[in-house]
Amino acid sequence: MQKGQTREKILIVDDSEMNRSILADMLMGEFDIVEAEDGEVALDILAKDADSFSLVLLDIVMPRKDGFEVLEEMKRTRLIEDLPVIMVSAETASAQIERAYGLGATDFIMRPFDAFIVHHRVLNTIFLYAKQRQLISIIEEQINEKEKDSNLMVDILSHIVEFRNGESGLHIRHVRIITEMLLRKFAHKAHYPLTEREISIIGMASALHDIGKICIDDKILNKPGKLTAEEYAIMKTHSMVGADMLGGLTAYQEDPLVRYAYQICRWHHERWDGRGYPDGLKGDEIPIPAQIVAMADVYDALTSERVYKPPFTHEKAKEMILAGECGAFNPVLLECLSDEFDLIRDELAKSSAEGFSGIEIRKFAEAVLLSKGDSLRGKSKASDRTLKLLDYERMKYNFYAELTEEIQFEYSFSEDILKLSARGARQFGVEQALSDPAGNLRLKEQLGEHWYEKFRKILTRTSPTSPEYRCECELPIGGEMRWYSFIMRGIWSDEVTPELESIIGKLVDINDTHVAMSELKEKSIRDPLTGLLNREGVWEELPQRLAAFPAHKYAVTIFDIDYFKSANDVYGHQFGDKVLCEVAERLVHSTRVHDLCARVGGDEFLIVFEYDGDIHPIIARVFKALCGKVEDFDLTVSMGIVEMTEKGQTYEELSHKADIALYVSKYAGKARYHFYDRSMGDDVAH
Amino acid sequence: MTIKECYEALGGDYDDVIGRLRSERLVQKFVLKFPADGSYALLLSSLEEGNTQEAFRAAHTIKGMCQNLSFTPLAKSSSALTEALRGGDLAAAVTLLPPVRADYEKTVEAIAAFEASLSL
Repeated sequence: MQKGQTREKILIVDDSEMNRSILADMLMGEFDIVEAEDGEVALDILAKDADSFSLVLLDIVMPRKDGFEVLEEMKRTRLIEDLPVIMVSAETASAQIERAYGLGATDFIMRPFDAFIVHHRVLNTIFLYAKQRQLISIIEEQINEKEKDSNLMVDILSHIVEFRNGESGLHIRHVRIITEMLLRKFAHKAHYPLTEREISIIGMASALHDIGKICIDDKILNKPGKLTAEEYAIMKTHSMVGADMLGGLTAYQEDPLVRYAYQICRWHHERWDGRGYPDGLKGDEIPIPAQIVAMADVYDALTSERVYKPPFTHEKAKEMILAGECGAFNPVLLECLSDEFDLIRDELAKSSAEGFSGIEIRKFAEAVLLSKGDSLRGKSKASDRTLKLLDYERMKYNFYAELTEEIQFEYSFSEDILKLSARGARQFGVEQALSDPAGNLRLKEQLGEHWYEKFRKILTRTSPTSPEYRCECELPIGGEMRWYSFIMRGIWSDEVTPELESIIGKLVDINDTHVAMSELKEKSIRDPLTGLLNREGVWEELPQRLAAFPAHKYAVTIFDIDYFKSANDVYGHQFGDKVLCEVAERLVHSTRVHDLCARVGGDEFLIVFEYDGDIHPIIARVFKALCGKVEDFDLTVSMGIVEMTEKGQTYEELSHKADIALYVSKYAGKARYHFYDRSMGDDVAH
Repeated sequence: MTIKECYEALGGDYDDVIGRLRSERLVQKFVLKFPADGSYALLLSSLEEGNTQEAFRAAHTIKGMCQNLSFTPLAKSSSALTEALRGGDLAAAVTLLPPVRADYEKTVEAIAAFEASLSL
């Protein structure tokens, strides 16, 4: 609040000293009090120092000037809008109260009053007004900011056009200066109602008068010699083109800047005598802003150097315009030019001498034009280049999007539209832009019934600071189940509390690599010779099996081939491999798919049985199946078995016990099997 | 004499005034100030001169003060007088003056007695 830490000040106006003193006593604890014994004194105090007061407590019946007269005066000077007044009176007639409110009193306290009520009403009123003042200043600030922003944008835009025209950068500034000066004069002379604000907006709009030239080939635009009839016809299209550009801003048609700019663009080449273009409007049909910009444009063109002419003096330019050598203008406007001539000449000279006050803007415009490093000076092709660059980027994007196997997508929350790359749309068999994607049946078929809910859930894991999300998933896109890598990124707004505005992302087909990876993984857990699982494979698979059927019974069996080393020695390694493969085959044939078979060492194998009932006949059958001649080698095995007797026994524990039982079999003379029991102890006896 | 007894003596409503002003100190301060206020003298003199406008304002001020201080009888009689004077009815005002005088004197008397008891 404007008074900072100082106390709020209240003016008490009452002719009775006692009444003032009662009020003052109630309020002086928190406020500074100034007293006035009648309306005239009160108005004197306010005339000197109204700003320092936060509130007036005003009696009605007083000598010299009464309360109503004070209110009337405050209303006349509009002080009542900024300074709240609470009436304090013994008047009870509703007509009096109504009159007070009608004159702008904020509140009415009836006498006899209650200290508590007076105190609160005073506080509330002061607080309310302070808040209102604060809000007003915030809004004013925002409006100023906004105006500054649009001014800047307009300046940048018009300078881009101007640089392309090869003009000095001063033309637009000059047109604006002349326009505003002529407007002021004209408003005064012709009693044409214009506020300062409108003048400033029209001035701003004048900077856009030639934006249509952005579409004119620069060969014509910057041709040093005279234009051919055909070229001139093309040149003339710029006014309509500019107007169309502004007319295309459908959302801003009510905006005064756009409205004025439209008039100016379209009609700044019309003539008072009706022989101008594009519409051949005549006299008062031409809107005043367009008439004035037309004159300002001609005036500055005459006094500036152009590719086709040297600059004329200001005097010469004025003469030519007044003589009707350069267009035909409203006679009142011609008078304005005569009247304002000295001022205009001085103002323009000042502006030229200063160089360009908006030097930053000019640099910025230059930077925009030169952004790609090439020097484009003068006959720049900036706009073409910019468009070409954009086109190039778009082409590049489409090209890559087509080349990759990726499905690219964008989703906007406000529009609820999902956009897919051309390839993506083809693969899904849908349109490239889908509104209400959550309800799309084809997407549901391919992404799952609840894909949208899942998608939304995933989004809750992203934030402005960590906007990315990746995962791998298997989806039946295009009817074939394949693996995809899903990558997306949230786009958050810049506001203080950022909001998720849209999502971009892609689905990359990783099926081949995924399959390759699975194969590799599969290989890593398999024994290449026998095709059985290896030790790692058991580690990988067993916990899953145990977890899948926790209620089942399990037994772990370890066996090795008797005299395998001598078989190797006698018949050679190739034969040894053959024996191993034979064992693996017998093993696979004698066990069921649910059993887990592995080669866990040189000639050491492991089986995890999952069974119901009695394990003994199963073991007997498997043992029998394993033994039997391989060529001349009499193959037998020694085997140890342990039953999982309680839950939570680990694989290490079980295989350790099976090992112990295996050694018991070996020491007992091989070619046999033993079940582990406690009497065997915990140590493997060698 | 207490301030409450003073109110009883002048026919005022002590509970009402203390309810509104919330402080005995304040009530006492303003009660003691009442006799010094010039409005009553102004009322009498302007009535003598036939200046109803000035008399109206004076009566109005008395009414306001009495309402603030809950001097009920004087507030009532001065209020009736104020309305008569607002309409410029001098004849009616003359008939309404005696009750105001009686109430005023009673009020000032009670205050004087209270003030005297304070300085004892």
